[in-house]
Amino acid sequence: MRLIVDGQPIEFDAGDSALIAMLRAGIHPTGGGCLCLGGDCPHCLATVDGVSYTRTCETPARPGMIVERHPREGYPPLPLNNPAAAEEVKARNVHCDVAVIGAGDSGKAAAEEAERSGKRVITLDAKRGQEVVGVYPGPLVVARTPDGMLHVHPREEIIIATGAAEIQPVAPGNDLAGIVTARAASQLAAVGVPLGRVVAVGARPENAEATVADGQLIRFEGNGKVEAVIVRGADGNEKRIECDTVSVGLGLSPRDVLLRMGSGLAIRAVGNAAREPELPACPTSGVVCSCSGVTADDLQRVWDSGFRELELVKRATLAGTGPCQGSVCVPHIRSFLKERGGELQAPFTARPANRQPTLGEVAAGAHHRATPRTALDAEHRRLGARMDRIGGWWRPWNYGDTRAEYWAVREAVSIGDVSTLGKMIVSGPDALELLERLYPTQVSTIAPGRSRYVLLLDERGYVLDDGLICCDGASRYGLTFTSGGSSFAEMWVRDWAETWNLDVRILNQTMSLGAINVTGPLSKELLARAGFTRPMRHMEHTMATVAGVECRIFRLSFTGELSFELHHPAEQSAELWRSLMALGTDLGIKPHGIQTLLQLRLEKGHVIVGQDTDFDSTPRRIDMEWAVRLDKADFVGRQAVLRTNKAPLDKQLVGLEMDAPAPVEGAVIWRGSEYAGYVTSSAQSHALGKAVMLGWVKLFDGVLPTELTIDGRAARRVSLPFYDKEGRRARA
Amino acid sequence: MLALNRIHATRIVATPSALDSAQWPDDRLVFRIAADEALITPPMANAVVSDPYAIVVADSGFAGAWLPMEEALPLLEHACEWELPRERPAFAQGSVAGIPAKLWIEKDRVLLIVPAPFVADFEERMA
Repeated sequence: MRLIVDGQPIEFDAGDSALIAMLRAGIHPTGGGCLCLGGDCPHCLATVDGVSYTRTCETPARPGMIVERHPREGYPPLPLNNPAAAEEVKARNVHCDVAVIGAGDSGKAAAEEAERSGKRVITLDAKRGQEVVGVYPGPLVVARTPDGMLHVHPREEIIIATGAAEIQPVAPGNDLAGIVTARAASQLAAVGVPLGRVVAVGARPENAEATVADGQLIRFEGNGKVEAVIVRGADGNEKRIECDTVSVGLGLSPRDVLLRMGSGLAIRAVGNAAREPELPACPTSGVVCSCSGVTADDLQRVWDSGFRELELVKRATLAGTGPCQGSVCVPHIRSFLKERGGELQAPFTARPANRQPTLGEVAAGAHHRATPRTALDAEHRRLGARMDRIGGWWRPWNYGDTRAEYWAVREAVSIGDVSTLGKMIVSGPDALELLERLYPTQVSTIAPGRSRYVLLLDERGYVLDDGLICCDGASRYGLTFTSGGSSFAEMWVRDWAETWNLDVRILNQTMSLGAINVTGPLSKELLARAGFTRPMRHMEHTMATVAGVECRIFRLSFTGELSFELHHPAEQSAELWRSLMALGTDLGIKPHGIQTLLQLRLEKGHVIVGQDTDFDSTPRRIDMEWAVRLDKADFVGRQAVLRTNKAPLDKQLVGLEMDAPAPVEGAVIWRGSEYAGYVTSSAQSHALGKAVMLGWVKLFDGVLPTELTIDGRAARRVSLPFYDKEGRRARA
Repeated sequence: MLALNRIHATRIVATPSALDSAQWPDDRLVFRIAADEALITPPMANAVVSDPYAIVVADSGFAGAWLPMEEALPLLEHACEWELPRERPAFAQGSVAGIPAKLWIEKDRVLLIVPAPFVADFEERMA
């Protein structure tokens, strides 16, 4: 049986790991460094079947497996075209009281003890293929298994029973090949990997012939591969012992990387994972952290720079931030700091992941934010709409011919899907009180059956959202919000109602109700054909049946034309939409998308909160002081509006026009050579034959400039709206 | 393949005490989705609670599907990070496959409910 290493087939025996196969062939996976064969060190990492940073000591060899060694300098290439990394990986969630990691003697004992006290226990063991890659707040233990990722959710406790790791040598030449820990030497001897002449430094390997080198480890010598080890004997003299392999037995350190990862969680270690570490000699030379290439000299440098705490030494050197998360270097850095500072410091925290997962494994069980679809989604797609995520929803951007959509609104009739608008009912004895406190308008003057456009301000007087208040009676109101702002607005309304302890009922109907905007000079005719003939004044609302569907009808206008918004049960949206389309065929009806809607409203100078407004937009800055009644006793933001109104106005949202073409939104506005602001909305007006814009413009010496430059072309500040200044069409 | 259909329901927002004391017919499923809100399916033509300011509306904003327990559990094991209640029947709410969901868990079957605008995503993620 053969696997492929750097393009060359090599033999392996049944039961071999990829590492053992490579060692049989005389190949060191990373070129050098002490091998532990216990999954603790980073010295056997390689790219296996396209997955980088794989521990080859824990990877069973199989025929055809492709192993690529990482470059000695730098990083393995990104797996841009690696199907293995792109594969979807499933995650399975399991719940328990106690999660035990490690099924050795101490792990078994801890699990049995927990079970005896009635706890539900899940034991994860790498030897059974459950390789824990991280411990996270939640708490959550994530393990890689042959069947995908396992997400273990322990209610009470995580017990780490992962045993102990061997301390690795830090001395000049410790990055040579041919150095192994004592346990590793035993394992290699047991499976018949030729080790040649073995010299044991410290504890000798259990079943390998070895010459014992008594004395303190000084350095390793060799050229790529170890050829000799130098120790200093009790007599103070250095002794050079030639060898092919050095077995290093410097003692044990708790395998505590997962424990260190769970800082702040209900987590504890048992058995050898909880043991006191055998502190190695203070490193004086050689590589301390091979993950990040940190040497003993680097430690001295940061010490000399004043770094005294272990966590800071970690940050200053990056020791312990690599794939092994300090498994190798922590004992040495602790020893270094104890030697220098006299105090043994606690190990630093570890960060996930303990085993390097693929992107697929990281993404397992995770979901991007879902984008809701209106009940008309299929209709839009059937009509060939180009769909896009707008305001947090899938919405039709256009239906292919924006000019036709535009003129249908301006000269005939059109329908648009506005189901995404926030829709809420507020009821209760304190409903009016709540709205009076929330909104900067005199809500009590809105008569039943009437609606009013309103701004919603925060405590600092900045515009949060806008919409309508619709009065259904003294104790019941309907509210609407922008599509993108409705979720926040609901929290805002509920939070204030609770804060003020007001007696109200609140129902968010955004996802339950569909809404279709019928707009254009022939919209009244279309509704008449659909059975609705009752006269309505501008900003009035009523309940009526339209094409057999019970609707709440609002007369209002965002497009500047005669318009009606039909709110109805979402399940009947498609039925209503199709009926209107059929009834309006000879009226020239067309659906309009958001692209056209944005242009239509821009011609009317209607602001879109979040697009035209900024985080510091006050009603005065957006020139909408008419929407704020400062003579009211109080409302959220009133004090701030009063205060900011005393300051000189520094900028304002204004209307701008220029010859075609329309500049891009965000274009900079200049006054001569001075920066004056930027464009927030921009479109080429079909009706007006010029580019129309909204934009923020600074005041110069208290005056708004009129003559400006955008894209190197002349632009002019003009009064709003651009289209139908008297508003006759919307109020027709 | 999971296929959800709109749920016809009555949605009531009222004081918690009014909902606590309300009498519901035995042939309806009544989900207390918030302290002050109940979702009743099939819908009730004349739902009455002792709160004069209660909001009572017909609602079809949710969609759902019944699944046999043996199909539901493996799906939920993958899609649901929180632990399902162990008693039966039980009502639970939380994120399932990243989507706000409600579960009505009976002895042998589970009703999965999500807001209708998320049905396409939910079906795709649970496939």
